[in-house]
Amino acid sequence: MEFPPIYSFPPLYTRQPNAVIRNKQIDSWIDIILSISKQQSLWEIDSQGNFIQQSISLFENKDIDRTVSPLFIKEILQRMVKTQKLVARDDMSDSTYCILWKNLDSWASLMLEWFETTNKLNQVVTIYELTSGDESIGWEFHSMPDPLVSKCLNLLVKRGRATMLKDEYNKYIAIKVV
Amino acid sequence: MGQKGSKIKITEQDKAVLQLKQSKDSIHKYTRRTSDLISHEKQELKILIQNNPKNYKENKKIRFLLKRVHYQEHLLDQASDQLINLENMLSNIEFKLVEKQFFEGLKNGNSILTKLNKEFANVDEVLDDMQEQMAYQDEINETLAQHVSGVNDYEDEIDKELDAMENELMGKQKQEQEALPNMPSVGRLPELENTKPKVGDFTPVKSPANKEQQGQEPALLA
Repeated sequence: MEFPPIYSFPPLYTRQPNAVIRNKQIDSWIDIILSISKQQSLWEIDSQGNFIQQSISLFENKDIDRTVSPLFIKEILQRMVKTQKLVARDDMSDSTYCILWKNLDSWASLMLEWFETTNKLNQVVTIYELTSGDESIGWEFHSMPDPLVSKCLNLLVKRGRATMLKDEYNKYIAIKVV
Repeated sequence: MGQKGSKIKITEQDKAVLQLKQSKDSIHKYTRRTSDLISHEKQELKILIQNNPKNYKENKKIRFLLKRVHYQEHLLDQASDQLINLENMLSNIEFKLVEKQFFEGLKNGNSILTKLNKEFANVDEVLDDMQEQMAYQDEINETLAQHVSGVNDYEDEIDKELDAMENELMGKQKQEQEALPNMPSVGRLPELENTKPKVGDFTPVKSPANKEQQGQEPALLA
């Protein structure tokens, strides 16, 4: 993992009392979270700041012996939700978030590009095929978790380019793009 | 399906393809899991052999693990075959759909062609009529040609008349020439002899054969 130099700067881990400085501090944290997520293909984070797929303790820097307090982590995450860098994974609860190091629209466009370049238009494609199949290896959305995929694909449906298919449990399993 | 208001329809074929793809996905998942398992167990096997370099052939755990690896590999092979079968099936379906489109295109083209051909239904009549008209045209041409030949006969008469007139003229000139010796002599004979060839140049007017040659000359030159 490559961290920006500011990651080793001790004051970054303490919530700054001055609002102007704190805003910058939070922005720096958001930049770090997004760049690390993109680097490591991290997709989801819980409300305590733990990444779901991998056990990376981003808010604890053992090299300089500093840790971000849970409350401040929440503040950072709240800001990310506000600026649409995070989106609740399920509509019901907000215990888990999807990390948007690319916004939903860009993801949707990238997927559309995949459908077009791999000649998958006008046929049913399963979500598994889209994110875990051999044909999407090398595309940034490979290994994207299903909830986030559904959100992106829903945008395509709204654009009038696609229809989603559900299984018997009312879960989206496939899409047809035209 | 679940989306109301969307215009994209899910056909029965799509559903069938979806089922195929779902089974393909699960086999894909299985092969991935199994190959992970195999590589993991192989790694374990290596560690075990490294730990017991002497009697690893007698070690039951190692033998068991190796058997398992073989069995898993066998399963993986089967799964890959099935995956290939499914993929073949899918591409067959896809190709059949393309063929269906091709066939429909052919059918449409054929119906348009027959429709167009129907417009040629009375082509025989038209052709017969045309032949009749052409025959009639020939008849007219022939009739006209006869008229032209009649004119030619007339021209012969003209020629004859012209010849007659010429003969008449020639007769007069001959008489004049004959009359010349009767004219009083000039007395200077040598001078007259010099002019004689000039008179000879003009004499062809008198003979019809020479006249024809003169008439043909420009035609040859052209």
